[in-house]
Amino acid sequence: MLEPVMFTGGVYKHDLVIELVEDLGGYLLQKNVTQSEVILLLLVPAEDLRILEDLTKELRGELTRAPLAGTEVAVVTPTLAIHHLPHTACDIAEYLRRNGAKSNMIGLARGVGREIAQINEYETALINEHDAAVFIFGNFAKCIIKKEELYKGINIPVVVTGGPEIPKGEMPYAFEYVSSVGRIAHRSKKATEIGNLDRIVAAVGRALDKMRADIEKDPLTTSPPRVMDAVREQVPDIERSYSPLPIALNLNGCRIKLPYEDYHEAIGAVRFDEGVTLKEIAKIVPSKMKNYTLVRILPESETGMVF
Amino acid sequence: MDPLEVYKVEAPGEEFGAAKYREIILDILQDLGLVRSIGRLYVYIDMERPYFAVHGLLRGSLPPLRVGDVADVVRTQEGYQVKVNEEEHLADMLRVLWEKYGRDKVEQPDRDLLTVSSDVSPADLIVTDVDAEFRRDLTDALIRIAPEGFRNRRNEMTEDSFLFIASEETITPELIEEVREKLRGMENA
Repeated sequence: MLEPVMFTGGVYKHDLVIELVEDLGGYLLQKNVTQSEVILLLLVPAEDLRILEDLTKELRGELTRAPLAGTEVAVVTPTLAIHHLPHTACDIAEYLRRNGAKSNMIGLARGVGREIAQINEYETALINEHDAAVFIFGNFAKCIIKKEELYKGINIPVVVTGGPEIPKGEMPYAFEYVSSVGRIAHRSKKATEIGNLDRIVAAVGRALDKMRADIEKDPLTTSPPRVMDAVREQVPDIERSYSPLPIALNLNGCRIKLPYEDYHEAIGAVRFDEGVTLKEIAKIVPSKMKNYTLVRILPESETGMVF
Repeated sequence: MDPLEVYKVEAPGEEFGAAKYREIILDILQDLGLVRSIGRLYVYIDMERPYFAVHGLLRGSLPPLRVGDVADVVRTQEGYQVKVNEEEHLADMLRVLWEKYGRDKVEQPDRDLLTVSSDVSPADLIVTDVDAEFRRDLTDALIRIAPEGFRNRRNEMTEDSFLFIASEETITPELIEEVREKLRGMENA
């Protein structure tokens, strides 16, 4: 069982942390260096967490649990206009990020209004590439209920946020509804507002747990971090990707930020110690996001093995 | 406490939305520095139709800002010396002086100092029309406040009041009359 944690500390000697995690059989998901500080998102075997804690203490760093690490969450607003951004959407996206998720903000082209709101096929497919989605709606109950048209066609769990209290029965297509958020024109800074952000994170956590449970019924052939590690080793060009996170993990695969046309063969040829190549155990398809490559690991029932 | 004399927001059937829009409107007006110029504000939101209406009374309009108001104008041998006190108006003032005297007659020896080579005093030139600017800002604020999906808008501004209606549907004369009726009811309540 791998435990997702976030290490925050000085740049000095932080490579000791990375080395230790690799020695323990864990994975480094993301490394952010901001001047003299470094933030590492790590997956560490739960039984060895103590060793990392001791090292963190020695380095005067901080180790916190990041329950959403290794997942990608879409934060969806009706549009990217000033009515919806920056306050609510950015606060939620940033809060999800602090809990370890990779959050992507998506503004729909025509998501506004009560009667005229719509979503197109491309947007739906793009949101479906994530592990969970948060839809940010406004302050009027009638609009929020009516706008379920937007997320009816989405396969991943959708957490809806809005202002008023609405009984769950009114929104059958939402995984969960978080009230008292709605549209606000200032930054979340009051205790109650921060509490709302915590509730959203908790709801997203439950949504991801559901996804994990669904995947568990027919386990993946291998784990996404293992694929990430193998790709990093065998496709060295990934180091030259300009994205801050060249490989973004999902619960059932990963998004590799290299052009599909040029790299899908190299990625497919990535070989594991067990003797199989990536294209035998995963679907490698173009991502809806830019020209990236999407890897979806096949379940045991299709490949007949788990490693 | 509200900085406005009278501030009412009504949204039948959407009490939470009404309370929340109260905050949003105040936040946006404060962000744009418009609160002090508005005396009374009535907001009526009908989510059944749906439409969003704001009616406000303005506090007395401001006279246009002249060069003499934001700078000290002193007569010198060559012409006039203008010492700018409020730097935010410097760019506008330069533009106005250039237009009036020509670029070669206006010089800026120092950051807040202008010299004009002319016998005509620049003190009475209008730098900005504060009132027109305020109306522009107010329209911008109202568009920001109204729910984004309400793209059909109507904005009536008079000397001392404004009426703004936004809706998803076509705004008909009957709708405008209905809105006026509702807002009158709120004013008289």
